[in-house]
Amino acid sequence: MTAAFVAPAALWLAVFLVLPFIAMLVFAFGRRAPEGGYLPAFTFEQFLNLPARATAFGNTLLLAPVGALLCLLVAYPVAYYLALRADPRHRLVLISLIVVPFWTSLLVRTYAWMYILGSRGLPSLLEAVGLPDIRMLNTPGAVLVGILYGYLPLMIMPIYVSLEKLDRRLLEASADLGARPVATFFGVTLPLSMPGVMTGTALVTILLLGEYLIPQLLGGGKVFFIGNALVDLFLQSRNWPFGSAIAVTLVLVVVVVLTVAMRIAWRFAGTRRVDLV
Amino acid sequence: MTSAANDVEFRSVSKRYGEVRAVSDVDLAVPKGAFVALLGPSGCGKTTCLRMIGGFEQPSEGTVLVDDRPMNGVPPYRRPVNMVFQHYALFPHLDVEANVSYGLRQMRPRIDRREVARRTGEALELVRLGGYSARKIHELSGGQQQRVALARAIINRPSVLLLDEPLAALDRKLRTAMQIELQSLQRELGITFVLVTHDQEEALSMSDFVCVMNAGRVVQMAPPQEVYDRPGTLFVADFVGKTNRLSGVVEAGGRTLRLADGRALPVSSQAPGAVTAVLRPEAIAIAHGEGDGLAGTVTHRIFLGNAVEYAVAADGIGEMLVTADRSAAQTLADPGDRVTLRFAPESLLVFPT
Amino acid sequence: MSKFITKPITASEFTSEFMRLKRGSVTRRHFLGITGLGLAAAVMGRSGAFSLEAHAQDLGTQMSLATWPNYHDPATFEAFTVKTGVAVEVNVFGSNEEMLAKLQAGGTGWDLFVPTNYTISTYAKLGLIDPLDLSKLPNYDPKTETPRFTNEGIIDGKTYAVPKNWGTTGIAINTGKLKTPVTSWKEFFELAQTEAGGRVMVHDYQLTTIGNALVSLGYKFNSIDPAELTKAEELLIKVKPHLFAINSDYQPGMRATDAWMTMCWTNDGAQLNRDMPEIAFVLGKDGGEIWSDFYAIPTSAANKPAGYALLDYLMTPENAVREHIANGAPTTDSRVLALLPAEVTGNKIVYPDEAALTPLEFGAAVTLTDPARAEVMARFKSA
Repeated sequence: MTAAFVAPAALWLAVFLVLPFIAMLVFAFGRRAPEGGYLPAFTFEQFLNLPARATAFGNTLLLAPVGALLCLLVAYPVAYYLALRADPRHRLVLISLIVVPFWTSLLVRTYAWMYILGSRGLPSLLEAVGLPDIRMLNTPGAVLVGILYGYLPLMIMPIYVSLEKLDRRLLEASADLGARPVATFFGVTLPLSMPGVMTGTALVTILLLGEYLIPQLLGGGKVFFIGNALVDLFLQSRNWPFGSAIAVTLVLVVVVVLTVAMRIAWRFAGTRRVDLV
Repeated sequence: MTSAANDVEFRSVSKRYGEVRAVSDVDLAVPKGAFVALLGPSGCGKTTCLRMIGGFEQPSEGTVLVDDRPMNGVPPYRRPVNMVFQHYALFPHLDVEANVSYGLRQMRPRIDRREVARRTGEALELVRLGGYSARKIHELSGGQQQRVALARAIINRPSVLLLDEPLAALDRKLRTAMQIELQSLQRELGITFVLVTHDQEEALSMSDFVCVMNAGRVVQMAPPQEVYDRPGTLFVADFVGKTNRLSGVVEAGGRTLRLADGRALPVSSQAPGAVTAVLRPEAIAIAHGEGDGLAGTVTHRIFLGNAVEYAVAADGIGEMLVTADRSAAQTLADPGDRVTLRFAPESLLVFPT
Repeated sequence: MSKFITKPITASEFTSEFMRLKRGSVTRRHFLGITGLGLAAAVMGRSGAFSLEAHAQDLGTQMSLATWPNYHDPATFEAFTVKTGVAVEVNVFGSNEEMLAKLQAGGTGWDLFVPTNYTISTYAKLGLIDPLDLSKLPNYDPKTETPRFTNEGIIDGKTYAVPKNWGTTGIAINTGKLKTPVTSWKEFFELAQTEAGGRVMVHDYQLTTIGNALVSLGYKFNSIDPAELTKAEELLIKVKPHLFAINSDYQPGMRATDAWMTMCWTNDGAQLNRDMPEIAFVLGKDGGEIWSDFYAIPTSAANKPAGYALLDYLMTPENAVREHIANGAPTTDSRVLALLPAEVTGNKIVYPDEAALTPLEFGAAVTLTDPARAEVMARFKSA
C-alpha cells in the first residue's frame, strides 16, 4: 500500500534527479570533444581545472549567504507583522499581496526592474526633482534589489508559518515572568521561529547558489556566478565535462550547506522534531 | 511589600469587547494570603478577571489594584503577580531548569548565576522535581509539567499567584493529589492564590473563599461551606452542588409551602409569595415502604461505593435525586420499590421567583 | 520616434519589448502599416497561387525557426501562415555557440535556423546539417547571389546553406550623449574608460568581444595566438569596471539611453538609427567583422517540408525585400537589391562604401571551437 503511494514520487526522483545526476557524474570524468560536447574518458582533469572558476565559486559562495541574510533581515519584520500584529481580517489580503506576484514569471518581473532602474525609470524621476542623474541599472545594488525582490516571498512564508504557529500564551508567559518585549523576542519568539528562519535561509541560499538570471539582467552580465559559468560552459563553449564537474561540485556544496543548516536548526529548536514549514 | 489588607482589589471593573460585556461592574477584594477560587460556567468572565490581574487585559472601566497600587496600564512584566497558565505554556525550546529560572534571569540588575542556580534548585525541590533540571519539556508527564509551571511561577516570589484552570488537563487521581499539594504550597509560601476554575469540587476543596461568577458579575463571594449551605441565589445553589427543585407558593404566615399539586410542605420562616425551593440530595432521608413524607417509586440506583444515589419518581412532584449514606441504608432499595422521602424544613432553600 | 526617449514606458510598450525578447522585433509592424506593405503582403498571401488545403497536408501545421533577436518582420511569418496554414514558432539566440550547443545536445525541434558564415563548416562536419535539396527551393537563384557571401555555405561543391543577408559588426554611438567621435576599436575601448565610462556595452559573445579587442591592439580579428589573446584579455579586464553591461541584447539599453555606445551589428545599427537618428553607426577603420548569415535545415528537423517551404518563401524576392526593410541588414541577392527603395540602398549604414569594408575580416571557424578563446571570455566575465 505504502509502495503504491510512494511510487510516483520515487519514479519522479529517479527520472528527474538521480538519472541526470548520474549522467552529470559520468560527464564530469570525461573530456571535451574538439567541437564541443563530451568524449568518454576517465580523468580528473576537469576537477583539477576547477580553480579556473574560483572567482565564480567565490562570488556565489559570498552572494548566496549574504543575499539570504539580506532577505532574512527584510523578511523577518514582515513575517512578524503578518503573524503577530496584523489584523487577522486583513491577513489574507496582505499574504496575497506577497504571493500573487509569484504567479508571474520571474523573468518578466526582473525585466520590469530593468525599466524601473533604467534611465527612464527612477533616475529620471530623481532628475525631475532636481537630483543628479545616477545610474542604477547594472550595478551591484541593482542585483541586490532584484534578489531581494525575487526571493523575499520564499523567506517570508516559512518564517510567517512558524510565527503563526507560535503559541501566543508563551509570549504572555514570558511577559508575566518579567521579560520586557525585547527580551521576549530574543528569548522566545526568535528561538521558536528558528525552524522557519532556517528553512527560508536554506531555501534562498540554495536557490541563490544556482542564480544567474538576476545578475545577468540587472547586473549587466558583469557579475559572474556559478550559474553564469554553467550557462556559458554548456551554451557557449560547449564544455560539458567541465560544466558537469562544476555542477557536481555545486551539488556537494549544497549538500554541505543543507546539512549545516539543519544541524543549526536542530540545536536552536532543541529537538530533532524540526518540521520544515 | 505594603501592609495592605487586600492583595487584589477590583473597583467597579468592567471589560467590553466591542458590544460584548465580558465583565460588568465587578467589585472584589482578595484578602492578603487568601486562596480564592473564581468559579463559574465558561464565559462568565472569570478568566477575563484573572487576565486583568495579570495585565494581559486592561479594564474598560474601573480600577484593578494589586498591593493597593492601581495597575491600569501597567504591563505584565511590571506587575508583582505571576501566573500558572492553562496547559502551562512552558517554553518548549528550553529545558526544565531554563524554564524555571526564566523569571530570575529577567531581573535587573542581573542576579548572580550561582544565586539563580541555587534558587532554581530550591524551587524544583519545592515542587518535588529535584533531579529533573536537564529534562526537555516534552519528556515530562502532565503532572510533572504542571509542577514545572508552578515552580516557574513562584520563583520570583510574587505577591499574588494566578492559576488558570491549573488542574484541568490532569486525570482525576492526579488532580486530587495536586489539590492537596497546591493547598500546602500556598500555606508554605504564604502568598495569595487566585484560581480560576469551572469545577465546583476543585473550588470548594482548595480555597478559603469561593467567588461565584455568572454573566460577567460576581454573584456570591464567601467561604466554601457557606456557598454550599447558604447559596445567595438560585444560580449559586444550582451551580454549586446537586439540587432538587420544587416550585410553589409560600402562604401567608411563611410557614407553609404549597406545591402545584396542592400538597403542603413545612418551611422555616419565609416571606409569602411564589418561590422555587431547592433541596440537596443528601438532605433527604429515604425509607422503605410508604409512611409520613413524600411517597415515590425508585426508578434508578447508582452505587457510588461510599454512598448510593437514587432517582425517585415522587408522586405528584416528579423526579427527585436522593443521596444516601451506605451506613444509613442497610438494605438498598431496588428500582420499582415504593419508598418514602423525608427532610427537615430548614434544609429547604427557598428563593423567591 | 522620439517618444522612446521622452516618454516613460507604458504598459503596451513594455509588452511589446517583452514580445521582442521572445520572438524578434515587433516595433516595426506600424512601419509596414504606414508604407502599405503590410496590407499588400496580406492581400498577396490570400490570393496566392497555392491552395491552403493542398499544402496543409504536406507541411503540417507547426514549424520552428531558430534565429537572432530583432531579425525578422513578424508580418512575414503571419503571411506565411495565412498562405500555408503552418504556424511558425520563433526562437531567438544570443550567439552561434548557443545555437550549436542546442543542436549538439539534440531535441531542438528546429526546422530552419540562421547560422553565421564561420560556423557552417563545423555544422557540416558534425553532421548536424545536410546539403540542401535545391530543387525544393525554386525561388533561390545562386546566379543572383554575391559569391563573397555565399561561398561558406558551399562545402565540396554541395550547398549546405543559403544566405539570408550579410552585415558588419561596428560601433553604435549616441552622439547626443558622447561628443568625442569614434572611428576605430582602439578609440572605442579608450572612450569606454573615459567619457563613456559606465555607458558602454560589449557583446556576451567571444567572437566579437575578443575579436574587436584584438583588432584594437593591432592583431587579427580571429587570432588564437596565446600571447595576443593574453593582451586582449588584459585590455578587456581593464575596461570591464567601466562597462555598462556585457550583453548581446543591447537595443533596450541603447533605446533607453542607459547605454551610450555598444558593439553593434548592421541590422541593429540601422534599426536604432532609423528610430533615434542621434545614434550613429560606424565601422572600425582598424578592422572588425564582416559576416553573412545563412539559412540551413538541421538534420534533426521534424518538419523538413515546412522548413523548405518557409525557406523558399523567404528566398522569394518580393518577400525578402520586406524582410530586408524590417531587419535593416544588407542583402546578398541582386534581385532583392533591385527591388529595395533608394533610401535603403543609399543608407551608408546598410550599404557602406567598399573602402570601409576593406579592413574587415570574416569570422574563422577555429574561433568557434578553440577552448582558449572560451576561457578568455570566462575570465573576462568573472573578473
